[in-house]
Amino acid sequence: MFSGLQNPRNIAAQIMNFGLVLSTAFMMWKGLSIVADSPSPIVVVLSGSMEPAFQRGDLLLLWNRELFTETSVGDIVVYNVKDKEIPIVHRVVRKFGHGDKARLLTKGDNNVADDTELYARGQDYLERSDIVGSVVAYVPFVGYVTILLSEYPWLKTAMLGIMGLMVVLQRE
Amino acid sequence: MHSSFTRLQNVFGFFTTVAFVLGAFIAATDLGSARTPSGVIKTDNIQVVKGRPHYYSSKKEEYAIIRFSLEADLSSLFTWNTKQLFVYVTADWTSPGGTNNSAVIWDSIITNPSADHLQNLGPVAMKKLKKSAEGKSIAPERGLLKLKNQKPKYQITHPSGKIAETADVTLKLHYNVQPWVGVLTWNMDKPLGVWNAMRGGVSDLFTLPALKSKDGKGKDTKDKSSTKSKKSKKP
Repeated sequence: MFSGLQNPRNIAAQIMNFGLVLSTAFMMWKGLSIVADSPSPIVVVLSGSMEPAFQRGDLLLLWNRELFTETSVGDIVVYNVKDKEIPIVHRVVRKFGHGDKARLLTKGDNNVADDTELYARGQDYLERSDIVGSVVAYVPFVGYVTILLSEYPWLKTAMLGIMGLMVVLQRE
Repeated sequence: MHSSFTRLQNVFGFFTTVAFVLGAFIAATDLGSARTPSGVIKTDNIQVVKGRPHYYSSKKEEYAIIRFSLEADLSSLFTWNTKQLFVYVTADWTSPGGTNNSAVIWDSIITNPSADHLQNLGPVAMKKLKKSAEGKSIAPERGLLKLKNQKPKYQITHPSGKIAETADVTLKLHYNVQPWVGVLTWNMDKPLGVWNAMRGGVSDLFTLPALKSKDGKGKDTKDKSSTKSKKSKKP
């Protein structure tokens, strides 16, 4: 297995290979980001506030361009709140006005109250610029790996290590 | 060349390909099943009150309570790939400045029996729900809605704090189909393939009443809603 290490040309090729895999993944992600006009075009559901539609670990595909219609009431949007790190996936239930200045109120389908309490202090409504994208497609469960990885950080190190080792040691 | 690692990798790769193709196939079957949603919606008793619409409201403002009747047939939206149907009614109006406003006044989550176990319900309600479609994985009859003089779940407000005597308000029925896998769909204005646009589903224009004074509020409400509900029973 370690015979590959004897040839420096081989090692270089393997490292290149590993780099290629990483950069391809990165380019696809960023490419999708440009197409969807969203900083994170794919998100994993982290909470149960939209149950039974979305469970923890489900994968959502986002779209942030208003090609045919504006973001409107009934759309499920992912938004960021100032000074809070985790984006939230909830449904728009009220919209006052239109365009960039429209005031939007969201609510989780599984929550009793709307999101006023989740917004920043003194903030009563969202603006269009707070929104990262609207949910257009859904794949169940696939994202659960990322929840495991973030809840058990050692898994991340272990997986990266194994992957790197395997790619480097892999012989064609 | 044929280490156990590459074998594992191949098996996993093949598994993901098969799963992806199967998922895409299931999602694509949605396009083949006809959708013929329809609904009739009309308002019953409407009130505008000044107060705190929520326990966490910081200021007193005017809010409208719109009771409505709804008869809808959304049964064609239930297929094997339907996880839930989210049905909602919005009130739509235009402010004097020409800006559009829209607010959900009522909503309902209708699960397909395949997703019943995911609902957030107490044990008794859950048992009842599961029993209502025993042995079935698709329950189109759940898409038949019949509401009479329904109390709204949400009172509508406006950021300006004023909403009384707003003219040209309509109620509109909407739906959102949540699939098990694939694209989320909402009600459409134009037909697409075998998916028809919603037939009806919009109320007549109405005007919100003037602000109701606090005295005699309870008594008035009772009288009005009872006479109204009697009226709505007539064809």
